[in-house]
Amino acid sequence: MAAIEFNNLTKRYDSGIHGIHRLNLKVGDGELMVLVGPSGCGKSTLLRMTAGLEEVSSGEIRIDDRVVNHIPPQQRNVAMVFQNYALYPHMTVRGNLAFPLRMQKQPAMLIEERVRRIAEILDLTPLLDRRPKALSGGQRQRVAMGRAIIRKADIFLMDEPLSNLDARLRVEIRGEIARLQRQLAITTLYVTHDQAEAMTLGQRVAVIDRGLLQQVGSPQEIYERPANAFVARFIGSPGMNLIQSSLYRENGGIQLQLGPRRLPIPQRVLTDFPGLATHSEESVLVGIRPHAIHLSDTDSNETLPARVCTTEAMGHETIVHLDTALAIDNSHQARGDQTHLLVQLTGHHNFSAGEQLAIRIGIDDLCFFDSDGEAIR
Amino acid sequence: MSRRRRLNDQTAPALLLAMPALLGLLLFILLPFATALVLAFTDLRLGSPLAVNLVGLDQFLYLFNDPDFMRALLNNLLFAAVAVPLQTLLALALALLLNRGLPGTLAFRTLFFMPVVFPMSLVAVIWSLIYAPGPNGMMNAFLQWASFGLWEAKDFLRDPLLAMPAIMLLSIWQGVGFQMVILLAGLQGIPQTLYEAAALDGAGRWRQLLHITLPQLRNPLIFVILVTTILAFRLFDQVQIMTRGGPENATTTVIYETVQAAFARQQVALASAMTVVFFLLVLAITLLQRRFTHHQREVA
Amino acid sequence: MRPGPGSTLMTYLLLAGMAALFIAPLLMMFLGSLKADHRVLLESGSLTAFLPRELSLQNYSDVFRRSEFPRFFFNSLFITSCIVVCGLVVNSLAAYAFARLQWRGRDLLFNLVLALMILPFEAIAVPLFYGASILGLRDTYAVQILPFIANAFAIYLFYSFFIGMPRELEEAARIDGASTLRIFFSIIAPNAKPVFASVAILTFLTWWGSYLWPTMVTIGPTVRPLPVAIASFYTLPPLQWGDILAFGVMMVAPVVLLFVIFQRWFVAGVASSALKG
Repeated sequence: MAAIEFNNLTKRYDSGIHGIHRLNLKVGDGELMVLVGPSGCGKSTLLRMTAGLEEVSSGEIRIDDRVVNHIPPQQRNVAMVFQNYALYPHMTVRGNLAFPLRMQKQPAMLIEERVRRIAEILDLTPLLDRRPKALSGGQRQRVAMGRAIIRKADIFLMDEPLSNLDARLRVEIRGEIARLQRQLAITTLYVTHDQAEAMTLGQRVAVIDRGLLQQVGSPQEIYERPANAFVARFIGSPGMNLIQSSLYRENGGIQLQLGPRRLPIPQRVLTDFPGLATHSEESVLVGIRPHAIHLSDTDSNETLPARVCTTEAMGHETIVHLDTALAIDNSHQARGDQTHLLVQLTGHHNFSAGEQLAIRIGIDDLCFFDSDGEAIR
Repeated sequence: MSRRRRLNDQTAPALLLAMPALLGLLLFILLPFATALVLAFTDLRLGSPLAVNLVGLDQFLYLFNDPDFMRALLNNLLFAAVAVPLQTLLALALALLLNRGLPGTLAFRTLFFMPVVFPMSLVAVIWSLIYAPGPNGMMNAFLQWASFGLWEAKDFLRDPLLAMPAIMLLSIWQGVGFQMVILLAGLQGIPQTLYEAAALDGAGRWRQLLHITLPQLRNPLIFVILVTTILAFRLFDQVQIMTRGGPENATTTVIYETVQAAFARQQVALASAMTVVFFLLVLAITLLQRRFTHHQREVA
Repeated sequence: MRPGPGSTLMTYLLLAGMAALFIAPLLMMFLGSLKADHRVLLESGSLTAFLPRELSLQNYSDVFRRSEFPRFFFNSLFITSCIVVCGLVVNSLAAYAFARLQWRGRDLLFNLVLALMILPFEAIAVPLFYGASILGLRDTYAVQILPFIANAFAIYLFYSFFIGMPRELEEAARIDGASTLRIFFSIIAPNAKPVFASVAILTFLTWWGSYLWPTMVTIGPTVRPLPVAIASFYTLPPLQWGDILAFGVMMVAPVVLLFVIFQRWFVAGVASSALKG
């Protein structure tokens, strides 16, 4: 058991590119911390530095208050599950599970006993004499897990452990990992690029982009109060709509220019976001989750006209891409280009392209970001 | 950055692992080769009471005015110019025939490759029997049969005109399987979809060969040509066993002359100069190959 | 596109014709080794050369009587095995250090090794010969073994294979607590059997048939290997072709046997040496 602490951790490659830049993060003893971000954001680098597979450029990594920067992986007592599992192809499942214990020169009796127990926990008993080649993806994944947990490491490191599985297995094993982690209460760093996986798994989630830590918090915090426009766009499926907008001070209150409409911001919202006061008379980004936008039957001064561009029917929900008078922000794209306002509706809806709708945006559902993309709170 | 040991610096174990091989390469390749380079510019001769002098390019000038050595060079060039294309074409033909995947292919491949595992000294001895003079020699008898009796029995290995072709023939027989196997592997690496696409585009068998097979086979082809050309310049075993360079220097080679100079005449410096010339030839061929090889990008 | 029946027939005819040319010398050697000495040359001019008539093992016993065949065979086997076994260990370890370990001077040294690859043995034979003479090492096993253990091409073949192995295997092993040597022997080597087989076969073929160097350094029959032995047996009067061919058959039999059993590996080994380059 151990706590991990990253202090000003930096990884610079020889090319000068930053893998990780001045990252500060604490992972508590027994905690499951999910590192999430788009591919190439540095999350795997962070994991590999923790394992000792990559050199730290500057800053420090502490495991249980001990700086481990210069300790080789063999002596860190960490266990790692690799994306492709890295099972030893020439060894049986038994051989794979036993290998870490054999490296610790444990007595044969004890090794045998532990292998038997782990195999039981992970349902691997009938597979013990098979080689990795003869296993299914899910079985291989379990062997990789077994090899990690068999040696009572201080820390688990998991590098996209589910990305080679099909969608159904992924959900299943995700639950299993969460259960196992709680049971064993071992400090865990879990890397994924899949924000849904991060949200369902993490006790806390650290969002990383371009080597910089963007936000750390519980899934709920990150979803409801994103620290910046990147997190807002990255978390959620689809991500938050970001609308270019401005604040005006008028009649002693603050008003929000939303397309053609100018809406007064009620006092309860101003109390929630005291920062808005200091950003009046400025251009801001307004964020709204696609499910928080509603269709309206009647045109009024509370609604905005919109024209259907495309619809994606998912069965239980429908995502509608709308052309509106709102200026969609394109500078904080986490996933692809977006030029339309997305609306997420429950159930199945049939719209034809070009159809005119009226939408209503509730002022209480908004998030605000300054022109640099930082959240206004 | 602190002066502390780098986390992943493995200099100590790496040196331990690499040392035996590096030491071997240093002692038995680099050092002798460097010695040859130096000796080639001296007049060292074993057993000579005279002091050793640096003589600059004298040994090379001597070599290029030495009719025996020039003949050796010419013989090597001739061997390369004739045997290499013939052997490559034959290997390509065999590979193409085997690549059709007909039943029995494996047996044929085994047979064609078999001579490759034969030591050249043994091949030379067997073919000495085949080239036996008189109408009883197998080659003579075969040629007589094939020419409807027009061929007059020859003593191949003692005929200045026939000795070299005779040696070429057995060298091709021994080596073609090596090239064939490499070209066959190359052929099997060509994606079938390319042929399917070409067939859809209306390309017939010949056009497929010309526009797909040969371009796709470019690197293996260049490789086998390189290896065979270098082998042509290393020619020694057959010559030493079958003809001793004769008759009338018709089969002498650079390496044969080098061994003669080093071994029989103790001319260390001259032999070293020959070694250097030989090395430069090999280097030139290798550089040519590098130039012609397309470097495919590694796919991670 | 499947070839039509006409072209199939044509393919077989061509293959059969070539096969006849390839098999004739082999068959003649084998049958000749079983025929009385005077008949070998006499029959080689006609198809009787390929008829198995009146065969005996007389030539084989003559070989043992007229030469020290067992000694030569042992010499070849001993020299070649030493080169192969030591070479596998030494070159694979070096290749691993080049392919996977982080150390100062690595790239420089590796480029040097690559450069050495183009040096054929013939380019160093002369100075090596004088070196051996000066050190009084002629006519020893050592001089026929030691210079050939470290081999740049073998290092390159191992290197190409190791560099293509998934890095995660070693990383997993490091995290599991294995040392560098341990990783090599427990993880890398067992998963690199094909390249070990290829290198072993290529090395074996090269040195089993090697002739130039042993003719230079061996003097008497004590450490003489087979290729030199057959050349001198060939010139040993009286010229008895049956005996010579029997010598040849015994000399090549182990290689042919190995080849027939491990054919796939031979072919793969040879092909891999080329396609990697």
